[in-house]
Amino acid sequence: MINPEFLNTYLLSIVIFSLLLNTALALYGIFYKPHYIKKVICLTILSDTANTFAIYIGYRRWLNDGTINPRPPVLPTTEVSPGVLSQFLARAVDPLPQALVLTAVVIGLAVTVFLIFLGHQLYLHYGTLDMRRIRKLKG
Amino acid sequence: MISAETLIYLFMALAGIGSTVSVYYAVIEKDLIKAVIYSAIQSTFYALLYFLLMAPDIVLVYLPVAVGLIPGVLILLISKTERVEQDEESV
Repeated sequence: MINPEFLNTYLLSIVIFSLLLNTALALYGIFYKPHYIKKVICLTILSDTANTFAIYIGYRRWLNDGTINPRPPVLPTTEVSPGVLSQFLARAVDPLPQALVLTAVVIGLAVTVFLIFLGHQLYLHYGTLDMRRIRKLKG
Repeated sequence: MISAETLIYLFMALAGIGSTVSVYYAVIEKDLIKAVIYSAIQSTFYALLYFLLMAPDIVLVYLPVAVGLIPGVLILLISKTERVEQDEESV
């Protein structure tokens, strides 16, 4: 029988590893993919991953019962009682990172819309959105 | 018997793995409409992750912005420009 504490920590480390992998894939897409729209898509993925990291580390109190890896708490019940609510208030994500991420999501939308209009103007001017072709079209 | 806490962590791990798979397909896909749809699937997994990480008010803003608005305007741009990313040798 697997120790449940070990299983929880293992499952949580999968989340961290997949977020790091997402960051690497998004950076690869931004730097090495030649198409403008693909670069914009990868930029939105990168900002979403950064926001998820900010939420991930933003807990008020991490469960640390003497183990090496502390884990963020979860509520394993749907019942609403004063005890559960006070537990939620004591341990949920802090309001400051939540407000930061909320603002970052909306500003990211504004930046993406600006980049999309920039891409439309680029297409009207050069007739293509491929960066390799635009590099050849000097003057 | 699996406990409820382990089940929540299991859903978080599944959302993480699903988001990585959809990011990989969004990066390597040549058809840009399909890449935008894979990016929207990744946003859905992230919204599930936010909900399970006890930040439900992020989900209320993130879900319409990242699943609805950004793919919408990207598809509008693709419809006005070009749809397929060209290969290296055809440039």
